[in-house]
Amino acid sequence: MADASTSSLAKNPALIALAGWLVPGAGYLLLGQRARGLTVGITIIVLFFLGLLVGGVRALDVPGYGPHGKPLVAGWVGAGPDKEGNKTWEPAIKDTPPADDWRLEGWVLTTHPFEEIRAKPWSIAQVMIGPIDLFCDWWSVRVSQPSNPLVPHSPPIAARSHSRLNELGVLYTAVAGMLNLLAIIDSSHRTSGEASGQTGEK
Amino acid sequence: MIHALTSMLAAYVYHYRPFNDPLPIWTDARWPWLLLPLCIAVAVVYKSIRCKSMRRVPREAAGLVIVIILGMAAAAVALALVVRGLER
Repeated sequence: MADASTSSLAKNPALIALAGWLVPGAGYLLLGQRARGLTVGITIIVLFFLGLLVGGVRALDVPGYGPHGKPLVAGWVGAGPDKEGNKTWEPAIKDTPPADDWRLEGWVLTTHPFEEIRAKPWSIAQVMIGPIDLFCDWWSVRVSQPSNPLVPHSPPIAARSHSRLNELGVLYTAVAGMLNLLAIIDSSHRTSGEASGQTGEK
Repeated sequence: MIHALTSMLAAYVYHYRPFNDPLPIWTDARWPWLLLPLCIAVAVVYKSIRCKSMRRVPREAAGLVIVIILGMAAAAVALALVVRGLER
C-alpha cells in the first residue's frame, strides 16, 4: 500500500516539484533518494541561513515593503497648478504617504507588481527556497520596524547591512534559491527515469 | 586566522546580535574568505545533482571547489592586469 502510494507520487513531476519547493531536497526524498535529498536540502538551507548571518536578516529586501517595514503604497501626490491653473498630480510610491495632497491608489504589490519585483529582482531567486524564505521575509519586515513603536523615528530593531556584506548576504540567499530551483527541476525530471527504473542512487 | 576570529568575537561579544546585525567584518582583508562557503555549497549541490552515485560526490565536489577558486583567482589576476594597463 505504502509502496503503491510512493510510486504514484514518484510519477507526478508537479508533486515532486512542489515538495522540492516546500522543503529543499524533499523531491529527492519522495523519489527514495535519501542521501541526495539530505545532501542537497541541508546544503541549500545552510547556505541560505549563512547568507542571513553574513548580511543580517534585513539583507532580504521584501517586495511591497519599505526600509522601515511598512507597506509601500502607490498614489498620486499634488504637484501644484499647471499653466492654466489646474491642479496636477504626479505618481509616487511611499511608505508613509502625506496626509494632504495625496490620492491613494493601493498597495504597490497589487497596483504595480511587475515594477516592484523588477526593482528587487533578487527576491525572485530567494523565493525559490519556499516557505523558509517567506518566513524570513516576514522576519525581515518585522525587524525593520522602529524599536519603539511609540517613537516613529527610533532606530529599527535590526541593523541593515551595507556594501560588501549586504552584497554577500544577497548573493548567498539568491544562489541558495537558484540551487534549489536546479534541484526542483532535476528531481521532477527524474520522475520519468524513476518510473522506468533508470535512475537510482548507489 | 584564529587570532583574527577571537579578537573579532571579543570586540563584538556584547554588541553583536546574530541575524539581527550583519557579521562584524569591517576590513577588506577578511570578506573574500566568505566566498569559500559559497563555492563549497555550489560544488556540493551541483555534483549531487550531476553524479549518478552519491559516493563520488565528495571527491568530485572537492575538485570543483578547487576549479572554481582557481578560476576566480585567474579572473582576478586578469582583471587586475587590465586595470593596471588602463591606468598607464
